[in-house]
Amino acid sequence: MTENPFAYFFSCVFVLFSHAAMLVNIFYNGNYDSIKDVIILAVAIAGTDIIYFVAMLFFKQHNFTADFMLLLILNMGVIFQSCFGGVHLSVKHLITCIACLVSCRIGYILTRNHKWIQQQKKYIWLGIGILAVVILTLTGSRSMWIDLGFISIQPSEFMKPLFVLACATSVSEQQNKHKIWKFDIVWENIILFGITAGICLLQWWCRDLGSIPTFAAIYAVGFLMRICYPKAKFSNKTLLIAGGVVLLVMIVGIKFAPQYVRDRLFVDIWSDKSGNGYQQSQALIAIAEGGWFGKGPGKGFLYTVAAHESDIVFASISEEWGLLYAIMTTLVLLAINTIPLINPPRSYYHATMCTGVCAALTVQMALNIFGSCNMIPFTGVTIPFIATGGSSMVASGLMVGMIVASQSPDFQKPKSKNSKKSKKKTNSPKRKKPSGTSDRRRSA
Amino acid sequence: MKSIKRCQRIITLFLVMFIVGMTVLVLKINREAPFYMMNSDNHQLGMVYDRNGDVIFDGTGKGEYEENYFIDLGNLIGDDKGIMENTLIAQNIDKLNNYSFSEGIIREGGQASIYTTLDHYANRAVYNAYAGAEGCTVAYNYKTGEILVCTSLPSIDVTNGYANMAEMESGTLISKAMYGTVPGSTQKISTVISALEIIGSERLFAKTYTCEGKYLNKSGDYIDCHDPAGHGTLNIQQAVEKSCNPFFAQLIESEDLPLEQIIKKYRKLGYAVNDDKPEYIDIDGIQCAKASTTLTDSDDFNTQWGCIGQGSTLVSPVQLMMWQSAIANGTGKMTMPHLIDRVFNVYGDVTEIAKTSFSEKLFSEQTASTTKQIMLTNGQNNYSVSIGGYKVGVKSGTAQVKEGAEENSLLVGFLDDERHPIAFCILIENKNAVSVTTENIANVLLNALCN
Repeated sequence: MTENPFAYFFSCVFVLFSHAAMLVNIFYNGNYDSIKDVIILAVAIAGTDIIYFVAMLFFKQHNFTADFMLLLILNMGVIFQSCFGGVHLSVKHLITCIACLVSCRIGYILTRNHKWIQQQKKYIWLGIGILAVVILTLTGSRSMWIDLGFISIQPSEFMKPLFVLACATSVSEQQNKHKIWKFDIVWENIILFGITAGICLLQWWCRDLGSIPTFAAIYAVGFLMRICYPKAKFSNKTLLIAGGVVLLVMIVGIKFAPQYVRDRLFVDIWSDKSGNGYQQSQALIAIAEGGWFGKGPGKGFLYTVAAHESDIVFASISEEWGLLYAIMTTLVLLAINTIPLINPPRSYYHATMCTGVCAALTVQMALNIFGSCNMIPFTGVTIPFIATGGSSMVASGLMVGMIVASQSPDFQKPKSKNSKKSKKKTNSPKRKKPSGTSDRRRSA
Repeated sequence: MKSIKRCQRIITLFLVMFIVGMTVLVLKINREAPFYMMNSDNHQLGMVYDRNGDVIFDGTGKGEYEENYFIDLGNLIGDDKGIMENTLIAQNIDKLNNYSFSEGIIREGGQASIYTTLDHYANRAVYNAYAGAEGCTVAYNYKTGEILVCTSLPSIDVTNGYANMAEMESGTLISKAMYGTVPGSTQKISTVISALEIIGSERLFAKTYTCEGKYLNKSGDYIDCHDPAGHGTLNIQQAVEKSCNPFFAQLIESEDLPLEQIIKKYRKLGYAVNDDKPEYIDIDGIQCAKASTTLTDSDDFNTQWGCIGQGSTLVSPVQLMMWQSAIANGTGKMTMPHLIDRVFNVYGDVTEIAKTSFSEKLFSEQTASTTKQIMLTNGQNNYSVSIGGYKVGVKSGTAQVKEGAEENSLLVGFLDDERHPIAFCILIENKNAVSVTTENIANVLLNALCN
């Protein structure tokens, strides 16, 4: 149960109010055939909100900020997705959102004990290996999907949270060095480099090039956290060399990229409006038509364009709700990433994990938004929690669960030992001295 | 704690980079949204008006107009279909965009518009005066630079669309006033200006040459005169009035006028001489070709022929008209022409107001004054009947085109009237096949603009 019922209550009210405001906008400005469609949507949103508010009470956390943020953004996504082309509840997206909420809980439960999760590293590597084999064998020739008929699964999405965990490290792991020739080497770092290279090659093979920057970003922050661990000297020279290598790899990658990749990279969307530049040009036109305040929910044209609900969803939202609202939605997403800044992670392992999660989520947002708006090459990556895609949703939920798990507990003043309540709390896992505090003392 | 802070710094770096990216994106969208909107099927253009508020282009497509209501200015104003590119709308389409990003798409009530300097009534009158002939007429206020008339035939009423484009005559989709044409004897004004600049008024007027119907130049080629009987002995005033080719051929050969000096003066006037890079005059985005000629040797037939206004010399009617402003103003500076007077945005606010501008000095005030007097005398002696009631300074020209198969008739000049400071250039193509004359057109033009 929460220890601050007032904060909890007002957070619930805030989330409900935000969703209600959107529903009111739909009621007045939306494009719907029958008021029944709006009511069904409202019931689904309010129902999910309230059920989750109640469900969260069964988890003993001191802080629910990330959970409220997640619920807020997920149901915003349901509302957006339910409005494209006319107001109808998007049941499929609602189900994936519920799956996301569940996976968030799973992510939290699995990673809250950093010592335990660290001990599972070999299983994490194994999991990545299994997913790689699955991609190679089950996704078909150069594809990223496993089609089960009623549902399609993108295994590479599940690789992201596993890869974040593989990149996360503790200080003790980094001090476990072996002298080989003139170098002090941490074997785990070598293995991680091999895994990264393998994943990138795999993504290249299955033409999921959009995911490569996400994996690269997770690895980059993991690498930084590994070479800059507390007792290591922060070497500018090392960083420069690493940056140079990354730049070189990018240049070589672009130079030797297949023609279809270069066509996408260097396309002039306005001179190829019906070809490679179709989605981006339509997206930008839709944003322009929407202006700051949008045409109204369900009144856009972009729903006729392929991937309007995923790859160019930012433009779809901008068109119907306005660029201002689309930016505000992005800020909510961004706010989830700021949680580790407000509530510092409680161990070095959690810190590296959080950094990886933030890198993954931010890079995915950037690739989607900037790509669809023709600022960078269009990769077809989805925005977490807003765009459709069950695999992406579950994987992103797991990653938010990691952020929840990494938050520091609130330290309460010790209460009377004689108090029954106090005794109960002392016996509960949350009342134990968090293991992360010892890490923090060491690193201070 | 230091290690946790490092994690926070990296997260902050990612977030800051993302926010910077978002800021750039918002600025980019805000700036480029009108362009995106122009690519939308839902975009709506505003109106283009003439100087009196008469519609000359309806971007809404909702107005009802008489058949061929816009034909007199169709190939100058153009439309948004992308077929004609060197037109007012094609070059200023962003100004007509009835769109504001702060409101998004506006389906009704946008007030974006362009008020031009054109006089629709005068253009229509001139267009009708051609009576089936082809050519173009351009006129402007040489004090302010406001283009009043710029009609080119054949033309198109853009509201009729382009379904019969294959059947359209050559030149239908361009405003001929903006493109180079053989200037004929109107070129002699440039040669007079150059000679005045090089040797001065007194020495030029002292020069006399004899015309016997044709002149055997120093390189052994004949320069024919349009009067086979010859004009006898002439001075510069008489040579201009008679438009005598042998006189000008001998003037070019004269040792007082070194070719380098002539080339220098021609370049000053704006000619691309020999291999000079061709340039354009920008008139509110519309590209107008600058003059070009080939001058290699004073004794050479082609050089002399070029200075007379034949051969490879090409000048656009607009530039011929602009030179008239430098003469008529008496300053030696051309008044730069413009078509757009005011631009209103989607909310009806004025965003652009035209300002009069002038070119650099092409020739001295003395040269301008002398040339002006030569042209006025020509107007008084030879055009007082055909262009009755107006004090005009003019020079006519006949240009051989299509390897001599056809002749175009030109008339450049200005009205010496403080109330109506109008400079003009009139071109009639294949003059022998039509009954209308440049003087007829000039009369209609001046009547429409002055009354």
